[in-house]
Amino acid sequence: MLTDLLFRARALLNRGAVDEDLDEELRAHLEAQTRKHQQAGLTRDEARRRAHLEFGGLQQIREDCRDARGISVVDTVAHDLRYAARVLRKDPSFTAIAVLTLALGIGASTTVFSVVNAILLRPLPYPNVERIVLPWRVPPPSSDVGFDEIPWGRVDFLTFAGESQAFEHLGAFLGAAFNLTGAGEPVRFDGARVSAGFFPALGIAPQLGRVFRADEDQPGHELETVISDRLWRDRFGSDPAVVGRTINLNGAVYTIVGVMPAAFTFPQSVGMPGSFVLPKHTALWVPLALSRGPRVRGEPSELAVIGRLTPASNADRAQAELDAFARRMEREFPQGKGWFNARVRSLTRQLAGDTRRPLLLLFGAVAVVLLIACSNIANLLLTRSIARTREFTVRAALGAAPGRLIRQLITESVLLAVMGGLAGVAVAWSGVEFVKAFGPSNIPRLTEVRIDPSVLLFAMAVSLVTGVLFGLAPAWSAAREQLIPSLNDGGHRAGQSARGTRLRNTLLVAEVALALVLIIASGLLVRTFTHLLAADGGFNPDRALTFELTLPSSSYGDGDRTVNLYRTVLQQLQVLPGVVSAGIGETVPMGGAGESTGLRIPGRPANGDLAPPYANYTILSPGYLAAVGTPVLQGRDFLATDTADSMPVAIVNAAMARKYWPGQDAIGKQVGLPIRSFNMTVVGIVANVKHLSLREEPGPEIYVPFTQKPWPSMLTMHVAVRTQADPASMTGAIRAAIRAVDPGLPIASVATLETIVDEAVAQPRFSMLLVGGFGALALLLACVGLYGAVAYSVTSRSQEIGIRLALGAPRRRVFALVLGQGVRITGIGIAIGLVLALLLLKAISGFLYGVEATDPATFVALSLLLLGVALLACYVPARRATRVDPLTAMRAE
Amino acid sequence: MGGDKMALPQGTLDLLILRTLALEPQHGWAISERVQQLSSDVLQIPQGSLYPALHRLERGGSIKAKWGTSDSNRRAKYYELTARGRKRLQAGQSAWSKMTAAVASVLQHA
Repeated sequence: MLTDLLFRARALLNRGAVDEDLDEELRAHLEAQTRKHQQAGLTRDEARRRAHLEFGGLQQIREDCRDARGISVVDTVAHDLRYAARVLRKDPSFTAIAVLTLALGIGASTTVFSVVNAILLRPLPYPNVERIVLPWRVPPPSSDVGFDEIPWGRVDFLTFAGESQAFEHLGAFLGAAFNLTGAGEPVRFDGARVSAGFFPALGIAPQLGRVFRADEDQPGHELETVISDRLWRDRFGSDPAVVGRTINLNGAVYTIVGVMPAAFTFPQSVGMPGSFVLPKHTALWVPLALSRGPRVRGEPSELAVIGRLTPASNADRAQAELDAFARRMEREFPQGKGWFNARVRSLTRQLAGDTRRPLLLLFGAVAVVLLIACSNIANLLLTRSIARTREFTVRAALGAAPGRLIRQLITESVLLAVMGGLAGVAVAWSGVEFVKAFGPSNIPRLTEVRIDPSVLLFAMAVSLVTGVLFGLAPAWSAAREQLIPSLNDGGHRAGQSARGTRLRNTLLVAEVALALVLIIASGLLVRTFTHLLAADGGFNPDRALTFELTLPSSSYGDGDRTVNLYRTVLQQLQVLPGVVSAGIGETVPMGGAGESTGLRIPGRPANGDLAPPYANYTILSPGYLAAVGTPVLQGRDFLATDTADSMPVAIVNAAMARKYWPGQDAIGKQVGLPIRSFNMTVVGIVANVKHLSLREEPGPEIYVPFTQKPWPSMLTMHVAVRTQADPASMTGAIRAAIRAVDPGLPIASVATLETIVDEAVAQPRFSMLLVGGFGALALLLACVGLYGAVAYSVTSRSQEIGIRLALGAPRRRVFALVLGQGVRITGIGIAIGLVLALLLLKAISGFLYGVEATDPATFVALSLLLLGVALLACYVPARRATRVDPLTAMRAE
Repeated sequence: MGGDKMALPQGTLDLLILRTLALEPQHGWAISERVQQLSSDVLQIPQGSLYPALHRLERGGSIKAKWGTSDSNRRAKYYELTARGRKRLQAGQSAWSKMTAAVASVLQHA
């Protein structure tokens, strides 16, 4: 036993020496036998031949001796690896292309997998997150509110929350802005007003203190706040005794009762419906304190609702409850028929939401690239294994077992795959950094993207499966290769066997077809993007600055003081040198949706079938339209003379004029709001302004001057300033002007209109860049494959080409012959690719704007591009074919 | 060569090697020559198959190897029997005799 171990150990440690030992021993034997035969009178050659015959297969015996020594597994694997490394080193261009192809394929798929993993697969940090749902109100299908989700009303929420059985906790919330005053510059923070059920529904406990009790969620008790970890660190220096301290919010004194953990930032606008105004970063929460009183006429519906299902319940039961509730409310309030419906959506699904589809698109693109990469590799290895037939037959003749040859080939493939996999991880790492740096900020959880162990595992699995897959096919055919014919053959022409060629050509056709689908997809996205940039948003983003002003409610509580302040601010801004015009408005273009309201339109038939008229409702000051560059199409802008005492006026957008006064002149028409008894006269028609997306179809919108009985409060308004020079350079002067009016006014969200638009097109730009990148990659890989195949066929047919040339074939005929092979493959590939694109690209029509998924111009242009690049890839080897020297080619055999 | 040749029964090659080495240490070629001679050229052993057997025996501790110089003044690897090898040879020989005797008697009386 001990000798056995020692023997093995020595053999292992000393493998080279032991191998040499064996070789010398066997050589000594053969020599002795040869000498014996020579002494018997044979010639030296004959004697040697006899000795070898009597001895048997040298290679086999060597292997058997290794097996006998009992270290064969480690030994042969190491041997195979060394041999594989030597083979790969001997053919650096093959190795480089294969590793690069794999690295790009694996790297791209790992990057996308990392992103998908972070955004779609990794669970949110809430306990039992699968039980957290958002029951959104949904508008009737016949209405064209422009949103799929609309807010709950106060009474409806309280009624439903009071009787629901399916939910363990149900909370309402809405975004709110707070001015933090006291020491230092006033700062504006975004936060949320939340009902008592909000925190329990999410299931996150505070790191300090407590959340709101049910008795604090009542009018008169709401002066308490829970703050975010960030606010706690930035403003309170992580003071562990912060609970119980007070802060001054909107002019009132609030007591801090708790601090949430760092990861807790719900609600945030990212991923949530655009119809809700929610903070970008939530800094604090205060009680919502809904009044329990009866329904108030004209009361706004503004609540979002979040709920935690009971363990016994599920989304279907919650949905059934919501449906039953809606039916009951419709019986009670027949005039509101259709407006009580709600739909349950899981929080996970909501936050993945809009990003799910672009990510699936990327996944598709990456799958195509990976497929092309793999078929390229398979092709490379197939071509090579055919070229190496002779090497394998010689080794088989020397006694190597077929299993050993297959193992050798698989070792080579796996070694390649591992090298490609490692390089792929490097590519993925840079890819993830790229996505984090350039990904649009409105992709939720993007900052959480990183290469984690599961992603690494994924990359390794992809690379190994690829390795074994493409390693096996050539190994299989090599093992079945007939020895004698291919030896006699010289091993070259075996590569031209019809079966092998057909397989390789099929792979190439598939590559070309897939690449075409992908570049057409990216072409469509590029056209979408240019259309989006050219889309008329109803405003002019050049040289316009916007920011938000939030007035402390304590000092500007009533309407007149608010109006006077804004008037003073605008006067100050308008006289600043370099300012073209300035105005205030409730929203800015592309700055999110405003509020929607029902309308009273005298003279409009009160037909029961007709949906009640409604419009987006926005308060404006004179000068705002000019500041954001919205053209007045007809009539006039608001004037300084439109005051509380003058005739009530309104401006409508073109969509509203067309919708409610079709075929008539809207100027001079009357329109009223439900909460006001008087009607307003339409004095102007302006262009449609887009609010959420450049793709949107603008709905009716009505603008009301800020001076005429403002509703709701105007405590938070956007200021727009159009400048002569670079708007960013005016920031300092504008700040100073505001401070001169009231040093307690905080300025927030300073941005040029241009950056706001940039953010709006960030997502399509990102999709376009990534899919475009993958398209280019696919094109490159397909052409590398094509080039390799044509170049290989030129090399293996050089004798035939030589003969043709010697027999007088003109060189251009040879050129056409070789080029024709590539053109045929490309042509079939393009035909199949066009059909595939027609069938598959319907799926991406949701991403397109201003271009059809079957846009003929894109299809034709990119087919031609592919054909051109493919011809270029075939041109080089075809040129080489015409330079074949007939004599050299024929001698080479 | 010439004459009818018998293939070696399974497992007996080790025994033949040990028996050959019982006389004196030998190198591989000499062992194969000796087995050939002693069996009056009746047994046919592919010469190559000797070496895996030698390596197996060495690993099992029945023989040990060292490099030396052959009669013709060439470097050669000599194998020699160890004490364990001698015991194995005796056990093997007696087992063989018993078995051949048993088989012979069955064949005679059947």
